Amino acid sequence: MRPRPPIWADRFLEWYCRTDRLEEIQGDAHELFMRTVQQHPLKARWLFIWDVFRFFRIKNIRAIRSFQSTNTVSMLNNYLLVGFRNAMRNGLTSFINIGGLSLGVAGAITIFIFADQWFHVDDFHVKKDRIYEITNIVTREGSEIMMSDTPILLGPMILQDAAGVERMTRIEVGSGALRYGDRVFQERLWYVDPAFLEIFTFGHVGAPPDALARPGSIVITRPIAEKYFGEYDPVGKTVSIKFAGNMISEFTVMAVVDLPDNNSLHFSVLLPMESFVNLRLPDSETWKYLTDATFVLMRPGQNIEALKPLMARYKKLQNESMPDWPVERFQFHDLPSLAASSAHIESHMIGSGETQGIYTMSVIAFLLLLLACFNYTNISVATVSTRIKEIGIRKVVGGRKSEIVYQFIAENLLLATVSVVTGLAIAYTVFMPGIASLVGYPIPFGFSSGRMMLTFFSLLLVFIVVVSGVYPAMYVSGFQPAQILKGKEKFGQRSRFSRILLTGQFVLAFMSIVGCFVFIENTVYMRNRDWGYDHARNIVVPVYSTEQYLKLRDKVTASQQTELLAGSVDHIGSFANRNVLEHADKKFEMIEFRIGMNYLETMNLRLTSGRTFDPALASDTMSSVVVTQKFADAMGWSDPLNQFFQYEGRQRMVIGVVADFHHDNFYMGIRPTLFRLVPEKDFRYLSIKVHNNKALVFESEIRDRWKEIGPDDPYRGMLQDEVFASFQRTTRSDMGIIVSVAVVTLILACLGLYGLVAYNITRRLKEFSVRKVFGANVVQIFRLMNRDYIWILGIAFILGAPAGFFMMRLLITTIYPDPQRAGVLPFAIAIGMMALTVALTVGVQMNRVIRENPAQTLRSE
Amino acid sequence: MKGTHLGELEELVLLHVGILFPNAYGVAVMDEIKRQAGRSLNISAVHSVLTRLEDKGLVKSRMSDPTEERGGRRKRLFLLTASGKRTLEDANELRTQLFNQIPKVALQFRLA
Repeated sequence: MRPRPPIWADRFLEWYCRTDRLEEIQGDAHELFMRTVQQHPLKARWLFIWDVFRFFRIKNIRAIRSFQSTNTVSMLNNYLLVGFRNAMRNGLTSFINIGGLSLGVAGAITIFIFADQWFHVDDFHVKKDRIYEITNIVTREGSEIMMSDTPILLGPMILQDAAGVERMTRIEVGSGALRYGDRVFQERLWYVDPAFLEIFTFGHVGAPPDALARPGSIVITRPIAEKYFGEYDPVGKTVSIKFAGNMISEFTVMAVVDLPDNNSLHFSVLLPMESFVNLRLPDSETWKYLTDATFVLMRPGQNIEALKPLMARYKKLQNESMPDWPVERFQFHDLPSLAASSAHIESHMIGSGETQGIYTMSVIAFLLLLLACFNYTNISVATVSTRIKEIGIRKVVGGRKSEIVYQFIAENLLLATVSVVTGLAIAYTVFMPGIASLVGYPIPFGFSSGRMMLTFFSLLLVFIVVVSGVYPAMYVSGFQPAQILKGKEKFGQRSRFSRILLTGQFVLAFMSIVGCFVFIENTVYMRNRDWGYDHARNIVVPVYSTEQYLKLRDKVTASQQTELLAGSVDHIGSFANRNVLEHADKKFEMIEFRIGMNYLETMNLRLTSGRTFDPALASDTMSSVVVTQKFADAMGWSDPLNQFFQYEGRQRMVIGVVADFHHDNFYMGIRPTLFRLVPEKDFRYLSIKVHNNKALVFESEIRDRWKEIGPDDPYRGMLQDEVFASFQRTTRSDMGIIVSVAVVTLILACLGLYGLVAYNITRRLKEFSVRKVFGANVVQIFRLMNRDYIWILGIAFILGAPAGFFMMRLLITTIYPDPQRAGVLPFAIAIGMMALTVALTVGVQMNRVIRENPAQTLRSE
Repeated sequence: MKGTHLGELEELVLLHVGILFPNAYGVAVMDEIKRQAGRSLNISAVHSVLTRLEDKGLVKSRMSDPTEERGGRRKRLFLLTASGKRTLEDANELRTQLFNQIPKVALQFRLA
């Protein structure tokens, strides 16, 4: 048998090689093969394969030469060329199409990137698939609550008992004053097990991941490093921390950690768990003590479910130590799922948090995109009559229906691609920086993975093409060529479909504008809302010890500025003690403020009946309380004065009632509240009421002299006006987002309307000219032109405004427990704004008709 | 088109097409270059040079009869065209002319 060269190589040669050259090339290759094969069969085969690859040159490849001449390609070229010419001819409408779509696309891209990062937070941990958080499920007041807090002994126990667990870390949050040189700030401290930096893989400078293994070591983040050390290298430096119990210890900086943007473990200082144990808090070494979070790292290939039987044992252990607060069960959560599910975990340490906002934003972005697509559909259907001859000709020379459909879809695809590119530019330059400045932290412009990006953009294109392009393509391709060429068919004048779409757009526009103003109205209302006490002249300064309190008090008392001052353990707007009160058959959650003399007067709380605390009466310091109206209502007292109840192991008597006030920001409702006196030694806040308008000046004076009072502690005093500062910031950013959505919706709807009106006027210019010649006046022409649009706007308002109103009310009531009663103002503003913008849109076009000289229009042709 | 300028390898291949008349085809040219000039070329390189020469009009080609050792395939046989012959002559002449202009002294080497 004749030896043969490798078949696959031969086939490959036959596949790629140009037919007119194949014979000589293959012949030469075979000849060379045959020559060698007798002596060196293997060498011959290798040489043959080598030759085949060497022949793989552009000039020898068939596809390059033959491809360009196929019919499909030239038709595609033709479609795109015609599409391009059409787009150029109707410059305005194309601009509106592309501009609108780009806006919609930019919104979609921005929100997608935002959501993508939201749900892929903590993606960078190398071992993320093996990391699990353990949560604790308890039943409170009849409903199950999932808590991040787990017994402090649970983690070490699991590590010891379960072979499948490789590493474990707990997170215990505390605080303390960190000091380096003369820089002192209050910092949140995370006490963690040494494995923390091995389980969670952050980039770091300094010692390796076991940096926390030695006592007296500390790991800080980059911002903290810059705050204390500026540009100097902090590794190896010694800092001191003053803990809550006034204990001061020294720590050596072992490493500086860089937190990536998509990190959700927001720590600033890491300390070894040992430092926490050294604090010797009560119960902190028993099952009674709950730490803030427990994470385990499984060995590769081990299933977390195998820990189930163990957990049952731990549950028993814990319930024996805390019988009045039994644990239902423990649950495991893998790290990737925590991004989305953390919102259900009470006081979660990791994950993105509430997902409602993201879902709302996604729905809005989707609607915006839909709106933009409707614009396109509407305008293409309306402008079809200019292209009707082209379609007729195509059909007559043999174009099939499907080919016309392809043509229109190809055009649409081209436009959609352009829009996606411009949309990307808009998102990058305008929307992303905007949203970043609103939420207050930078959002990197990127996707969690390349595959995610590809999927997103291809789905986006398909969506745009299907929603905006398919209907016009079908509509246009259904025409009868004979009718078209005879000029009998009239299209795009009063399509019911396009009117429905336009109505839909304006419904959305009305919805978002009314919703927007409902929200703005509520925000303005909250800004001017009565807090239940006067706060304009008040300053509050947190202190860290009785000594500091006394020093500060003496300094402040000596000042001319001070009108009144008081100390307290809790402070309105800053810190309050929550408790559950049981009295007879009543049981409710309430807020307790432990205060000093004159606190009620200093904070300007409004006494409605009875009296405030009296320094002369010993009973006041022992057992008297002042309650709020809500408290009295919750107790069911019609006359609360001199009522008795049992609280904190003592018989209490109500001596006064104050009006309800906002003890917390407006996310929290007003709860029943009581005040009682406590001794001076526990005070942590000093509240000062100053004489007229001097609060700001006086506050800065105190700040300047703080060093004399607490050199080891940071100054954290502020105006009472600022206690809700972060709340107000959030509200402002929410408002920013909602207003920009409303603006974009309005722009899109008006672009659509403008495009349609402009187009219709051009088409009917002759008609109007004839009417003008016969004496029609402006009013009549206006009526003729806009009858349809006025109907559409009317219907859209009736449908959209109430819908927007109710949806926004729903949103507001879920965020704020007691919002303002809504008025008619948002409706009035919405109507006004829409009327104005529509009038502007249409007016520009009307002007054109009115100024047009009929003779000019009619003479042409 | 790059014009009629002849590259070094092109000139070599063109010469061999002349030498091997009338049996110049890919493999034969490759073998002959190996034998005469001692340069081993890949067959694909020879092919691309031959194609280029044909594009420039310096050689023409026809298909031979089928041969056994090529699995019944034909060879493409290359022949010099008039312009190919002319180009070779020009190149040869230019070279001789230039060579003769080198002063004798420059060619006399001696051990210093």
